[in-house]
Amino acid sequence: MRVVGRRAVVVGVVCAQLAFIAAGYWSDHKTFAFQMFPEASTWRADVVRVTSDGRRVPVSKPWAGYHWDELVPDSALTYPASRHHADAGLANQLAFLRSALDYVARNTPCDHETRYLEATVTSWHNDDPPRIEVFRSHVR
Amino acid sequence: MSATAAGSRSLAGAVDELLGRPVRMRSLALLRVFVGPIVLLHLQPFLSDSLDGRIYSDAFYEPYAAWYPELPRGVYVALLWLAAVAAIFMSLGFLTWLATATTFAIVAYNLFLSTTHFHNNRAYLCIVLGVLAVAPCGRELSLDALIRRRRGLPPLDPRAPAWPLWLLRFECSIVYGASGMSKLLDPDWFGGTVPWMRAVQSRDELGALPSWVISILTNRDLYTGAAKFIVLTELFIACGLWWRGTRYAAVWVAVIFHVSIQASASVQVFSVLGIAVLVIWAVPSTRDRVLFVDERRLALVRGLDWLARFRVEPGSHLEVIDRDGTSLRGRPAAVLVLSRLPLTAWFALPALLLPAVRRARRA
Repeated sequence: MRVVGRRAVVVGVVCAQLAFIAAGYWSDHKTFAFQMFPEASTWRADVVRVTSDGRRVPVSKPWAGYHWDELVPDSALTYPASRHHADAGLANQLAFLRSALDYVARNTPCDHETRYLEATVTSWHNDDPPRIEVFRSHVR
Repeated sequence: MSATAAGSRSLAGAVDELLGRPVRMRSLALLRVFVGPIVLLHLQPFLSDSLDGRIYSDAFYEPYAAWYPELPRGVYVALLWLAAVAAIFMSLGFLTWLATATTFAIVAYNLFLSTTHFHNNRAYLCIVLGVLAVAPCGRELSLDALIRRRRGLPPLDPRAPAWPLWLLRFECSIVYGASGMSKLLDPDWFGGTVPWMRAVQSRDELGALPSWVISILTNRDLYTGAAKFIVLTELFIACGLWWRGTRYAAVWVAVIFHVSIQASASVQVFSVLGIAVLVIWAVPSTRDRVLFVDERRLALVRGLDWLARFRVEPGSHLEVIDRDGTSLRGRPAAVLVLSRLPLTAWFALPALLLPAVRRARRA
C-alpha cells in the first residue's frame, strides 16, 4: 500500500508539473510553467471612464473619492499611460489589465455616473509593429 | 507473460526500489535550515503591508477561483505572522514537521489567493516547502534532535525513503529546463531579439558605464550568440545536474547563473532559493569519506561540513580516504575537502581540474 501510494504521489506530481509547463504555452497566467524573462514586449494604455452621458474621463483624474493608483497599486498597471515592459509577457500583462478594469468597475460603489471603463491599449510584441486593442470592463 | 509486460514490470520494480531506497535526509535538513530565512524574505512585503493596515484585498486582486476561501482580515494577518513564526521554528528544527507543514500551508494559501501574488520564485518556494513538509528532515540539524538527545532518547533514523529527494531534484531540474526550453522554442528569444531589446530598454540603467561599453552591450549582433549561450546554459544546468560527471560543473554554472540574474533583474527570492536548493544534489550518504586533519583545524572542518561528507579524525597531516579507498594527501586532499564543503565548494571546484589533483584522485 505504501509503495503504491508513493508511486501515485510521484507520478501525480511529475504529470501535473509537465501539464503546467505545457499549459504555460497558451495560458495568460503561466502558473508553475517557469517561463522566465519571456519577452521584451512593451505596452501602454489610455484608460477612461465612460459615463452614462457619454463623456470619456481619464482615470488619472480622481472620481467620486476614488483614485486609480490606490485601486490598482504596486504594478505597471498603476500608471498605464506610460510605456512599460511586460515583465511576464504581453498576454499576462494585458490579462491583468482586463481584470483590473473589471475590478475597478465592481469596487467603486460610490460612483454613480460611470457605465464602464475602457482601455485603448497599444502593445509592441518584441520588435513587431504596434497593435492597438480596446478592452472594456463589464457594464455597471 | 509477454516480454513487454515483464519489461514494464521490472521497470516499475526498479522505480519503486529507487523511490523507496532509504537514504540520508541530510541535504533536505540543511535546505530546511536555509529555507526559513528565505520564507521570511518572501513574507516581508506582506507583513510590512499588514503593519501599515493594508492587505491584498484592499486593492486590485484576482482570485484564481470563486470558491477559494478568503479569510476575515484579522485572521489573514494572524496567519501571515504565524507563517513567519513557523518559518523560524522550521529553520531551527523545533517541532519540525508541524512548523514546516504550517509554513507550507500558509505560503501556499497566500500564493493562490490572487493571480497578482504569483511569481515563479514564489511557486518554486511553495514546491520546496511542500517537499520539505513530506520529508522527515527534522531528525538532524534540529532542536528536536538536540532535545531528544538531552532526554536520553535514542536518535531517530536519519535515513528515509528517497522519493521526496527525487521529487525535489526533478522540480529543481524542471525550473531550469522549462525556462530554457521556452526560450529555445521562441524564435525571438533564440535569435537574440528579446535579450537585445531588454538591453536597449535598460540603457538608462547602464548610464554609469563608459559609452563604448554601452555601445557593445546594446549591439544587436552580440545577442545573436549570447541568446544561444543563455538558453544552452539553462538546458545544461537542467540536464547536467543528473549525471555525476557533469553535476559539479552544473552546480558551479548554476551559482554564476543565479548571481548574474540577481545582479541584473529583480527576482525576489529566486536567486537565493535557487542556490540553496543546489545542496540536494549532494550524494545522499554521509560520513563515507575519512578526513584526517590536525587538531587545530578539527573544529573548523566539522563546523563547515554541513552536509556531513566526512568522518573527521585527528591526524598528524591532512589526508582524505575517498569512498573508493583512494588516499589523498597535501594539496589534492585540501582541494577535495574544500570542494565538498558548501561554503567553499564554488571556489574550490575548478581546482579539481588541476592535473595534479586529477592524477592524485586517479591513483
